[in-house]
Amino acid sequence: MNKRLGKPVKVLDSLPLLIVCIAVVSSLYVVCFTGIASNNAMRYMIQIFLYITMGEMWNLLSGFTGMTSLGQQLYIGLAGYSVAVATTKLQHSLGVGLLLAVAVSVVVALLMSLLLFRMEGMYFSIATWVVAEAFEKLFLNWKYVEQGSGLTVRVVPYPKIFEICAFSLTVCVAAVAVVYILLRSRAGLGLTAMRDSITAASACGVNVFCHKLLVYVIAAAFTAVAAGVFFVNKGIVYPESGFGISWTVSMIFIVTIGGTGTVAGPIAGAVIYVFLQEFLAHYPGWSNIILGAVTILVIFFMPKGIMGTLQEKLGFEVFSAKRFSFAKHK
Amino acid sequence: MYFVQVIVNGILLGSVYALLGVGMTMIFGIVKLTNLAHGEFVVLGAYLSTVLAPLLGIDPVLTLVFTVPLMFLTGFLLQYFLIGRAMKKGAEAALLVTFGLSIILQDGMLMIFTADARHIVASYSMMTVSVGALEVSVLHLVLFAISLVSILSLSAFLKYTHTGRAIRATADDSDAAALSGVNISKVYSIAMGIAMASAAVAGLCVGMKWTYYPSSGGSYLLIAFVVVVIGGMGSVPGTMVAGVLFGLAQVIGGANYGLLISYVMLLIVLVIRPKGIFGK
Amino acid sequence: MSDTILEIDSLSAGYGDFIAVDKVSMTVEKGQIVSLIGLNGAGKTTLINTVAGLQKPDGGTVRFKGEDITSLSADKIVAKGLSLVPQGGRCFNRMSVQDNLLMGGFTKSARKKLKETLGHVYELFPDLADMKKRPAGALSGGQRQMVAIGRALMARPDCLIFDEISLGLSPAVIKDIYRRIIKINEEEKTSVILIEQDTRRALNASDSFYVMLKGRVVLSGKSSGIDSETLKKAYFGI
Repeated sequence: MNKRLGKPVKVLDSLPLLIVCIAVVSSLYVVCFTGIASNNAMRYMIQIFLYITMGEMWNLLSGFTGMTSLGQQLYIGLAGYSVAVATTKLQHSLGVGLLLAVAVSVVVALLMSLLLFRMEGMYFSIATWVVAEAFEKLFLNWKYVEQGSGLTVRVVPYPKIFEICAFSLTVCVAAVAVVYILLRSRAGLGLTAMRDSITAASACGVNVFCHKLLVYVIAAAFTAVAAGVFFVNKGIVYPESGFGISWTVSMIFIVTIGGTGTVAGPIAGAVIYVFLQEFLAHYPGWSNIILGAVTILVIFFMPKGIMGTLQEKLGFEVFSAKRFSFAKHK
Repeated sequence: MYFVQVIVNGILLGSVYALLGVGMTMIFGIVKLTNLAHGEFVVLGAYLSTVLAPLLGIDPVLTLVFTVPLMFLTGFLLQYFLIGRAMKKGAEAALLVTFGLSIILQDGMLMIFTADARHIVASYSMMTVSVGALEVSVLHLVLFAISLVSILSLSAFLKYTHTGRAIRATADDSDAAALSGVNISKVYSIAMGIAMASAAVAGLCVGMKWTYYPSSGGSYLLIAFVVVVIGGMGSVPGTMVAGVLFGLAQVIGGANYGLLISYVMLLIVLVIRPKGIFGK
Repeated sequence: MSDTILEIDSLSAGYGDFIAVDKVSMTVEKGQIVSLIGLNGAGKTTLINTVAGLQKPDGGTVRFKGEDITSLSADKIVAKGLSLVPQGGRCFNRMSVQDNLLMGGFTKSARKKLKETLGHVYELFPDLADMKKRPAGALSGGQRQMVAIGRALMARPDCLIFDEISLGLSPAVIKDIYRRIIKINEEEKTSVILIEQDTRRALNASDSFYVMLKGRVVLSGKSSGIDSETLKKAYFGI
């Protein structure tokens, strides 16, 4: 029967992509270390890098694998408290704190997987949120972490801002690279198959549990590192700021605006989010109203997000997760 | 005796939790949508009653005469002109639209009503009656009556009216319902209207029982979720049973551990019966 | 027989990039039984789902009783008097048999004579009257098809479309259902479109026929006197 095949998308890939990426990343490192950028500019850069990391990880879970989590703040809160306990309570360095954050998150993610992976779809989403809320209530009642008043994060010696900036950049680059490599690998094929149909994927021999576990643990670990750096900057962590749903609000916004299911999407989304937030700080009270309105407008007029729509309009794709791709055109 | 007291309070409060879940479960069962703005709808209902009662000089319960039709109309229009159109772009788009609505409503209410804690006070808020050795709060009895009447009249509406039958048919098989002459987008809009009307009633109840803020929506959404998932999505009887279980957990666990107990309860239910107690 | 009740003119429909129905034309006369036959995947169901308004057409027109109904939604088309008994019946399984039938009479015009029509349907399917309180999901396949037919009749249609009504039923039940369809056609002067994979059964019951293959109509004519060799060639596309 008649099939209307689209024209193939030009994929900016392999060598040219690698050269462009190395150029961009190394110039960003140069900016960090040479002190060209003011402290203020570096503060924005840190935020962008950290939000890209979290956005990429949420997109990996939801956009690529179909595990729409409303509870990644679980690992953000755990990371915040890990860093606080390691540095302030136990007087260790920041490095130890971040390692502890990753270790705790990975262990909790492994344990949670036993519980959460029994559920699919909306049930999974709700359960992830409930687990995060349950941890919030736990920390609210836990004497060792000062209950509701929270813990301060005092890092000695306090790293210079350019060090934090360079470290955040490294985490961010690693996150993008891991997502890209993972999706281009054999496992990536299984993951996208699972997003479309769990049953069909497992019928094709995809080990659903292992694939989910891999993605879930990677997402937990990277989110934890990014969150750890975040709380060093903030200087304090308390249950609501660590385990609050507002983290998920930010991640959903970043990924939706940027483009769900694209590797480049969260990068665009995070840049827009950080600048929009800064801009909205001048209009107190309006920030969520505008964020909400932008989300709804994007859904109606750019359902594939900024990167998704650009890719469709211009016919090329950066960081394609597909091995073969066809653009749909009418 | 303490034991009986706990059970009675748990059941009375449980009806309010069930009411919180009913609007959520209807939208899930009929429109097949997870409405992330349901919590804000409840808070909006609470604010409307808080403002109207002193303004009109009437008992807070009587404000329902105004808030229920108003919220029904708002829900109907929201679904018809906004959410329904997003649904044509896919389930995820609709979910994100309700998410957008929830944060817009949150800040909108913050601007209009400020961040102050609010509470709806009625003349009988502090009274109790004694039944034998049992002390029962009048407020709890009133809330129980309101919730029970709402849920039962909703069930009767679904069971015995033409529109109710069309709603059930749409939940069962929307294509077959369309082939019977049902205008599906109108049924979806009516369902959202009913869900929002139920949020108006739930808002009054939670506002009379607890203090609330513009940001309280998230916790009500979560409670509604927990109740609905324990009961089984789309099941009204399941929601009622789950509401009572949730109420008992709150009364037993108190302010510090009540929610923690019910979250753990939810996770246990999900592990044993991943689709809820009454889920199919 | 004289005037046309349903006129499909070069109708196209598909799913995404896939064209399932390619410029199909077809007419049904008042009071006639027309059979639409073809292999699995020939596009029969897509065609009538598009006619009934469940799916948006990519091109062409559908006229019913002289009125253009191409872009109407399913509920508006039912109200005009064109009803579809979808594949597998699609009863409301969680509702009682009686509620299923009452749903069939949901349109404004049907609601006026709801009681009368209900009595008539119970007359036609006495079995259904005995189990009106039972949920439709608890019935057998044949009984569910009866509920689906009864539900469609409740709208008092002028034209009835049956999509593979015999699918998964035993020969005795199929025979029974066909007998009743012919009775409905004779008594009510309702036009009928029968979608079938079984050519012999369809041709025996109908006045004229259409054969579809790969989204197109490849053969049509009067049901009586068609030679089996021509039919076989068109049916299998050899």
